[in-house]
Amino acid sequence: MTMNRATPINERSVGFRRLCVCLTALMLLPFASIAQEIAASSAIAIVVHKDTEVDNLSIEDLRSVFLADQQFWRNRKRIILLVRAPQSDERDFVLNRIYQMSEAQFRQYWIGKMFRAEVPRGPKIVFSTDMTLELVVAIPGSISFMRANDVSDEVKVVRVDGKLPSEPGYPLQ
Amino acid sequence: MRFSALTYAVILLCSSIGLVSVSRGQSYEVTSTGDPTAPEFGVIGFGEISYISKDASNQDGFVIGQAVAHLRASLGNSLSVFGEFTATGKDSEYSFEVERMIVKYDFSDSFKLSAGRYHTPIGYWNSAFHHGSWLQTTTSRPEMVKFGSKLVPIHFVGVLLEGNIPVTNLGLVYRAGYGNGRHANIARAGDAGDINGDKAWMLQFNSRPKKFYGLEFGIGYYNDEVELETDPNVKESTFSAHAAWTKESPEIIIEYLHSNHESVLDSSDEGDVNAWYAQFAYRLKGDHDDWKPYLRFENQEIDLTDPLLGSEGLDHEAGILGVRWDFNPWAALKAEYRNEEFNNGPRENNFRLQVSFVLAKL
Repeated sequence: MTMNRATPINERSVGFRRLCVCLTALMLLPFASIAQEIAASSAIAIVVHKDTEVDNLSIEDLRSVFLADQQFWRNRKRIILLVRAPQSDERDFVLNRIYQMSEAQFRQYWIGKMFRAEVPRGPKIVFSTDMTLELVVAIPGSISFMRANDVSDEVKVVRVDGKLPSEPGYPLQ
Repeated sequence: MRFSALTYAVILLCSSIGLVSVSRGQSYEVTSTGDPTAPEFGVIGFGEISYISKDASNQDGFVIGQAVAHLRASLGNSLSVFGEFTATGKDSEYSFEVERMIVKYDFSDSFKLSAGRYHTPIGYWNSAFHHGSWLQTTTSRPEMVKFGSKLVPIHFVGVLLEGNIPVTNLGLVYRAGYGNGRHANIARAGDAGDINGDKAWMLQFNSRPKKFYGLEFGIGYYNDEVELETDPNVKESTFSAHAAWTKESPEIIIEYLHSNHESVLDSSDEGDVNAWYAQFAYRLKGDHDDWKPYLRFENQEIDLTDPLLGSEGLDHEAGILGVRWDFNPWAALKAEYRNEEFNNGPRENNFRLQVSFVLAKL
């Protein structure tokens, strides 16, 4: 009996809550695009030299490139990897999300890679976003990363898993 | 002689440090000019010092391990040269060795051709780790692939074709080698030429599945005819298999090797070798991530009828427990307890303390 009486009250309560949520969502709608822009600006964009024949990489293929398991683009141009120097947020992000390594593991990985004669050189170290942009523009075959809002139209942004940094579901946000 | 050899070892390490500085400059210069085809040189140095205590002998003491210099040069878009040189402390002198010397041309990811002296691509350890003990978790290599091992031809001189097989997401990699087999001293490679007409050949397939980042497994085959000074030649065929989880929390490496040795004159004169090891390690997380405890079990058994190794007394069993402490980004301290049995003799307890370091810039 008690339960029978309580049910209509609960239904009214749930309906009221749903109404509140909908109204709140409607009120916040104008801010959604701003939130998306904020998310995009904090995303890390993968950038390549403009002539590089790649538009999209899966996250696994991107990892292969960053690990130097893949060292050539399809046109047989050697991939030149540019990595930010330690103590930059962009480097920390990439180590965490793409390499899934600590700074020490990253260092050991590349020393091992060079020592095994699997790569002729390690990644080139860059010290600023400006330097990254300058070198990606200058070096054919180069690939690097930077904050999405730092990207200029002199470089090409590569889609990751089919998505650009501004799109929902972009893997490097 | 001793002085000059010691001097050489010091120079080897000092030159590593010096050239690392040069490498820094050149690396930045190349980066600044933006010319990726400009020649680029680099040096990595490794060293180690150990304290070894054995309950089976009274020869406890400090051991200067190998001083290692690794030189590499990138000469344009596709050509590169690698060299690995060691100076090893012996009883009365240092011995100098050209461990690896490779000239390599990368046509593409699928086709990389090289010639020179290699660590034979058999199993995992011999290809993944070389002479710098800083790179490996433990103080030493497993017995089956230790330097100077007769069980496995550690070095090989010839040509190697390797590359990716880009058909699936399996991350397949192949290596195919052809060259001189073992020397008459079977622990050495035929550096100055093959001592018989039969060349060694080997084939290895590894997989690093893209969906399981960190996993590697593979199989390999090695074939040779070994010339012995007094006995008839022996056909050698070795099968290897390995699986490794290379992320450090945990790190798992398991490797198995089976060899068959058969006299060319009498096929009934043959014997087998079975060897394996399993290594487990775990890098702690959070504030203690510079600590990495580890454990390894090893076993190798050789048939007494084996015409190549049966009389060598190479049976071995070991249980190893240790911890690695990366107290500095470029140096590690390892403490290791070992319980071993050599050639079915009494079990020995050993303790090793080792500091190893790398001289490199990244």
